[in-house]
Amino acid sequence: MANDPLKTKLTGMLGIEFPIVAFTHCKDVVDAVVNAGGFAVLGEAMHTPDEIAADIKWIREKVGDKPFGIDLVLPASAPPAGALAELQKEIPETHLKFKQEINERHDIPEPKNPPALHQWGGLNQEMARAQLDVVLEERVPVFTSGLGNPGFILEAAHSRDMLVFGLIGKTRQAKRELEEGVDAIIAQGTDAAGHTGPIGTFSIVAEVAAIAGDTPVIAAGGVTTGRHLAAALCLGASGVWTGTLWLACRESDSDIIIKEKLLAASSDDTIYGRSVSGMPMRTTKCVWTDEWGKPDAPKTLHAPYQMLLSADYIQSANDHRREDLMFEACGQGVGFVTAMKPARQIVADMVEETLDVFDELTADDPVTA
Amino acid sequence: MSDAPVQSRPGFDSEMAGKHAECDGGGSVAGTKYAGREDFAGTLTGEYVDHGDPPWRWYVMADLTLKPESYTETTVWCQAGNLFLTEDHRP
Repeated sequence: MANDPLKTKLTGMLGIEFPIVAFTHCKDVVDAVVNAGGFAVLGEAMHTPDEIAADIKWIREKVGDKPFGIDLVLPASAPPAGALAELQKEIPETHLKFKQEINERHDIPEPKNPPALHQWGGLNQEMARAQLDVVLEERVPVFTSGLGNPGFILEAAHSRDMLVFGLIGKTRQAKRELEEGVDAIIAQGTDAAGHTGPIGTFSIVAEVAAIAGDTPVIAAGGVTTGRHLAAALCLGASGVWTGTLWLACRESDSDIIIKEKLLAASSDDTIYGRSVSGMPMRTTKCVWTDEWGKPDAPKTLHAPYQMLLSADYIQSANDHRREDLMFEACGQGVGFVTAMKPARQIVADMVEETLDVFDELTADDPVTA
Repeated sequence: MSDAPVQSRPGFDSEMAGKHAECDGGGSVAGTKYAGREDFAGTLTGEYVDHGDPPWRWYVMADLTLKPESYTETTVWCQAGNLFLTEDHRP
């Protein structure tokens, strides 16, 4: 081929070999992917400012001058603050009874440890702001905003030679952030894990690419193979954002039970719903999601009330390591995650498959559908 | 890093008060690494708070005409950058 399809606006901007971005909560995966020629972003939404500073130091020692990113979930909306005890009193009796019935039907034991609930209220804005200040102080090469608009921080970040990427679920949000000058847009489709929106990856990536001009677009949602990467590049993206792909890799610190569950899962084993937290998210199916999906189940409550209901379940599932109870945020591309490979191998396989696809498409006698 | 708490400065923006807006909202889920997206629409009261420097502005939205089905509060805080005024005026 005359041009290398894997040399994109994104690889040029970051100085990386391959347009593959790993999103992970595990520092070892960041280390492995960055040193394999990709780019990696560490999700730090639930960490304290001091923990974030320590993680940044650790990564720098592992990757040297190579770029990496830190992701925070900047909130975009927040309910009025309330005390935890007051909130718990407001949970309807019907929901508490249903939770008890689930516990009895599935013999769910009491958790060994108290659920790790953050304090309510100030968490959303003030905690996120304190986290963000650490990222600025540390001059992390790339800051990615996993939900809210990072426009207010652009000037401060750019003055520190940092890049800022915004992750969006709607095209109008991408348009807003592009006008404000973000350095790249991550266009996330509903196939993705966790806090995805309702629009499909194929639709939102093409829409955002059409308005992005010279700003790189990174495709997110269901991306787990080189064929996905090739398709994303054809849609106008400059790279892919991958999360589920790394959950079961050798370096991942996910529980082995979760890894085995993911390796056995297909796209039909994920569910997009509100039963875990009261806000929509995509996870693997489990006892909890099955029960709240039944016709006679009460309607899920809004966050934070639904989370107060599910907190004991989640803690018990993890404390007792019950396969039927445990779940993980997981995208619909999980069906291609079938082996517990080292991250470096995953990068190499994805690159090779992408090039094979482009070779097929550009061959003199291309394979036709 | 600085140990100083993030400064929060409340205020009132009369130009925003009474404007109808939509918010591409959502946020993290307390106690977990998860988050969720959700949409709101309503009327801005004009009340705001700025967190830190550079200021990160949030407005109060009331009289909600669109909210998640199970959302029981009567108001919601919305990040300025995720607000879209019905008249397409930038907040």
